[in-house]
Amino acid sequence: MAKVLLYSALAILSVFIEKNKLIGRWESKPSEKGNVTGVVFKDSTFEGYVNKKPFVSGIYKLENEVFSFVDNGCEGKKGVYKIVFFSDWDSLRFEPITDSCNDRRNGMSRLILGKKK
Amino acid sequence: MKRYILTILGLLLITIAQVSFIQKKSTSKEELGKLLFFDPILSKDYTISCASCHKPGYAFADTTTVSRGVARKKGLRNTPSAMNVSLLSSFFWDGRAADLEEQALAPIKNVSEMNLPLQEALGRLKNNKRYYRLFDEVFNSEPTAKHLAMAIAAFERTLETSDSPFDNWKFSDDSNAVSDDVKRGFALFSGKGKCTSCHFGSNFTNNEFRNIGLFNAKNLKDSGRSLISGKKEDAGKFKTPGLRNVAITAPYMHNGMFKTLQQVIDFYNDPNKVVPNAINRDSLLAKPLGLTVREKNDIEAFLRSLTDKRFHKVSTRK
Repeated sequence: MAKVLLYSALAILSVFIEKNKLIGRWESKPSEKGNVTGVVFKDSTFEGYVNKKPFVSGIYKLENEVFSFVDNGCEGKKGVYKIVFFSDWDSLRFEPITDSCNDRRNGMSRLILGKKK
Repeated sequence: MKRYILTILGLLLITIAQVSFIQKKSTSKEELGKLLFFDPILSKDYTISCASCHKPGYAFADTTTVSRGVARKKGLRNTPSAMNVSLLSSFFWDGRAADLEEQALAPIKNVSEMNLPLQEALGRLKNNKRYYRLFDEVFNSEPTAKHLAMAIAAFERTLETSDSPFDNWKFSDDSNAVSDDVKRGFALFSGKGKCTSCHFGSNFTNNEFRNIGLFNAKNLKDSGRSLISGKKEDAGKFKTPGLRNVAITAPYMHNGMFKTLQQVIDFYNDPNKVVPNAINRDSLLAKPLGLTVREKNDIEAFLRSLTDKRFHKVSTRK
């Protein structure tokens, strides 16, 4: 019984730790034209914006750095990406695993975000 | 002592001269653009400026079906808002301008708008001491078409809005910034209403051309994009407009045929009921949406939540 409880606690903890890496506000550096893209990740939802203007809302799951989500664009198509954290977890980029929404895949593949303190 | 005071005074004079010189040099491209945007010097009879049709109080749109140019000449299409244009990839309802600079010069030359040949416009600016000096300060050159376009476009790029109740809800994470109607309306906008299929992005447009069914070659004769592309399949397509501040930019559509947001929502709910003989209407609108009265009101509430706070007085007045 104690073992089951321990494993359960560890499982919950691992999910919590995984999600905690992502939760918060992340932003790109300004592009050549000065545009800044950002995402606010909450527990299971996210809001994307450009130049402080929200443009996408969605729900996500993060499991072992595999980020699966649906948003209000792309006709409800699901996207699955590997999140690669770098610079001591301060920055991240997305590597597509599957996403049939081409515009989104092109956009996300180019995106590098840094954690806002 | 006298020499000391004179030296101090001399230094003071030099400093003042330097400061005033720096201040004179500090006119920006955007400031010059703003002056030009509001100045009727760029119209044939000195009566119309860009701001005559792009009215600042109405999110730089007009309140009439189509605007009137010099000699009260009627334009052909509804004046779109000149705000939130910096991320757009084409301009005018038919997308005939590829960038803001190209767009900026077109109304000056257009016979139904400002009706002033470009060379004449440049001649006026060169003969105007103030503009001659300002172009020299900003561009280190006399007024040219390129610099005129750059200045106006630079000003237009400053007209971004991102402080609406919707922004406060989504960007600033203030769930009290909007009502439950707005939240339901946003869900409908993204779901049952299928609005995000075209109105997706930070300004609620994906910058595409679509035929929503306002072309029937009879009483609705404007074929839009096809006049530019020459392609038959583009007949009836128009650029999807952004929706920021949409509550204060009535009337709506390329021809200004809808006076209220309710009329627009009613149209999308069942386009065939409003324009039964449309040619090549987009398949997205093939079936009625089946929105209830409450759902329509919720979508309208969401659209109203896109009004920037600077316009809230106008919004309440409507």
